[in-house]
Amino acid sequence: MMNKKGIYIFLIILAVIIVAVIAGDFARNRPGKRPSNPFEYNMGDLKKVDPEQIIYRETRNFKLKMEEPAGMTIFNDQIYVTGDQLLQVITTEGRLVREISLPFKPLTVEVNTSRIFVSARESIHVYDHDGNPLAEWTGFTGNSYLSGIATYEGNVFIADAARRRVYRFTEDGEKELEFEGKVSDDALHGFIVPSGCFDLAINEFGDLWVANPGKHALENYTFNGILRGYWTSQFSDVKGFTGCCNPAFFTFLPGGNMITSEKGILRIKEYKPSGEFVGVVAEPSRFMEDGKVSDVASDSQGRVYAADPDKKSIRVFEKI
Amino acid sequence: MKKLIYILLSLYLLMPAVLYGQQRFPKPEFDSGYEQPDVIAPEPRAMGLEYFDVLVLLGVLSLASWLALKKRSRQGILWLSIFTLVYFGFYREGCICSVGSIQNLVLSFADPAYVISATVLLLFLLPLIFALFFGRTFCAAGCPLGVIQDLVIIQPVSLPFWLRKTLGLIPYIYLALAVLYAATGTDFIICRYDPFVGIYRMDAPYTMIVLGVAFLLMGMFVGRPYCRFFCPYGVLLKWMSKFSRWHLTITPAHCIQCKLCTTSCPFDAIDYPSEEKAIAGSRAGAKKFVVYAVLVPVWVLAGAFVGMKSHTMLSRSNQDVYLAELLIKHPEVKSDPDNLDVQTFLSSGRTMETLVEDARIVRKKFYTGSIIAGAFIGLVIAMTLLNQVIYRRRTDYQPNPGDCYSCGRCMDYCPVEKPKK
Repeated sequence: MMNKKGIYIFLIILAVIIVAVIAGDFARNRPGKRPSNPFEYNMGDLKKVDPEQIIYRETRNFKLKMEEPAGMTIFNDQIYVTGDQLLQVITTEGRLVREISLPFKPLTVEVNTSRIFVSARESIHVYDHDGNPLAEWTGFTGNSYLSGIATYEGNVFIADAARRRVYRFTEDGEKELEFEGKVSDDALHGFIVPSGCFDLAINEFGDLWVANPGKHALENYTFNGILRGYWTSQFSDVKGFTGCCNPAFFTFLPGGNMITSEKGILRIKEYKPSGEFVGVVAEPSRFMEDGKVSDVASDSQGRVYAADPDKKSIRVFEKI
Repeated sequence: MKKLIYILLSLYLLMPAVLYGQQRFPKPEFDSGYEQPDVIAPEPRAMGLEYFDVLVLLGVLSLASWLALKKRSRQGILWLSIFTLVYFGFYREGCICSVGSIQNLVLSFADPAYVISATVLLLFLLPLIFALFFGRTFCAAGCPLGVIQDLVIIQPVSLPFWLRKTLGLIPYIYLALAVLYAATGTDFIICRYDPFVGIYRMDAPYTMIVLGVAFLLMGMFVGRPYCRFFCPYGVLLKWMSKFSRWHLTITPAHCIQCKLCTTSCPFDAIDYPSEEKAIAGSRAGAKKFVVYAVLVPVWVLAGAFVGMKSHTMLSRSNQDVYLAELLIKHPEVKSDPDNLDVQTFLSSGRTMETLVEDARIVRKKFYTGSIIAGAFIGLVIAMTLLNQVIYRRRTDYQPNPGDCYSCGRCMDYCPVEKPKK
């Protein structure tokens, strides 16, 4: 047992602690002296990037003649950008080749050898390369939000963020199937899409990849909607995806590597098809604070193009 | 020593339970017209279960009174306190408790818009009614704050008389402030500084866990430090218990003055028989009594004066008063986006005029309340002094009816057997 002197010293220390805690709390938690918002999500550390991980540099950028660029793709080394009520075709040097007025607010664009597909919220509008309207696909439900288009050998895949599913159409506008990313009927989740960002793309080898933003995953599907493989990257550092719903956009480099663009903490990164992190294309400090996410595309030289809605420009990044 | 190790180990195991709630990621922004659903508040406890809690408390109080007064079983009281620890502590998570219900009751009197349920009223009244008839049996086995301290007592030391009396004033001050803050709608400080509710819920801020652990560690050597030197409800129980019709006794029959019980009480709540010297000096005590009695109104007035002078400072704990003062003195803070208090006010739609008027009403309440609270504290100090010179003749060792928690430890020490009927 402790001796009395030891007990008294112990008690005095405890009494001091009790008084200090009560007095400290009373002084600290008075109105106007409250601690900083305990629910604030401090993303400061997440925005830091080791310079060694940045493997691209911004070589050029050119201003867009539109207020709100929304979607972008590159076909035959020409940039197709949608925004406002416009579709613009721009060379990779930044020269405007063609501008097509649209009777709707476009979301995204996809181009193949014969057609241009532009999505509105609940419809797909098909144009030829001269800008002549060919068709309008309107058979979607009133709750659709058509956020992504990809084409391959006569197949048109459309991502619907609101209904959390992918449709496969023929080029003539006939819907062939739709899938929601579930492995089986018993599986709890298919696509989890908490925001309007839900992208898909097909690489040069004909592999269909769909972002599952709520699961921070990129998933590879057969054209029949069967899951073939996936990778997910939930690290809290730069190697992973953070926030509610990322990656928001993605595209492929020649050779199959992926370029992802994230919302929240705005950054663009490169991954191998296996999910292995390669490096950073554009770190958060390159974008405006609390800015909007940029759609991304790449050309045949492996240059990465980002349609920055805040700076209203296309920014070009090249590997160092 | 083994018990000490177990207690320290238990406290250590509780530490990882301190968790910090943090939002995982920012709310997603939707540009697609999506409407954020309303936050769903957790359902309140069903009324039937609330009445069940009252029934359980009634059962515990009845059983504790029977065990202390009739059965005279310390072991029974111990097991009952473990039940209270589990049920009212860990299962009911220490809320709403009789101790904190003072504030609900006061606020319901001060604010007509605030209504308390019959169950809260019963939780407040039942322990007091039992104390009036049977002593503080609620403290013995019905209070989750008390039993957790009771179970950690290892090597109690007796505190000097002057220290006990000085620290014994804290509950009165605490009670006065708690009533003042509740009546003005400012804060429920009893709940805010409840050292054990965080342990029961396992979700308190780190500092409150430190406070709870500090009280428990202190409780290993100073029996029930929170009950004796902080608990504001204990003040009311003490008043009731002093007039209790029946009360636990140390001996079941006649005291044989063996003194075996003198070291049994970890709370220094056993009154000794009057000493011959004290009896002889009682005439000198009478003079002191007169002086102290004359000083009673002086103490009350001094307390009221201090209360009146401190009402401005005390009222600044009120959100409306603080905000009104801040916005009048520093109107530029309206454009500070980091000032959560100001931004919350601005987005609430209240006008500056309403805020200032509300603040003025609150400060007026504080003015009156602080004077009453100060006068009450002055009266308590005066009566404490007066009590020291009041001579009470005692022939036996007996529990102090106000201070005794009816835990029954002293009964086990008494060698006198219960007379057979």
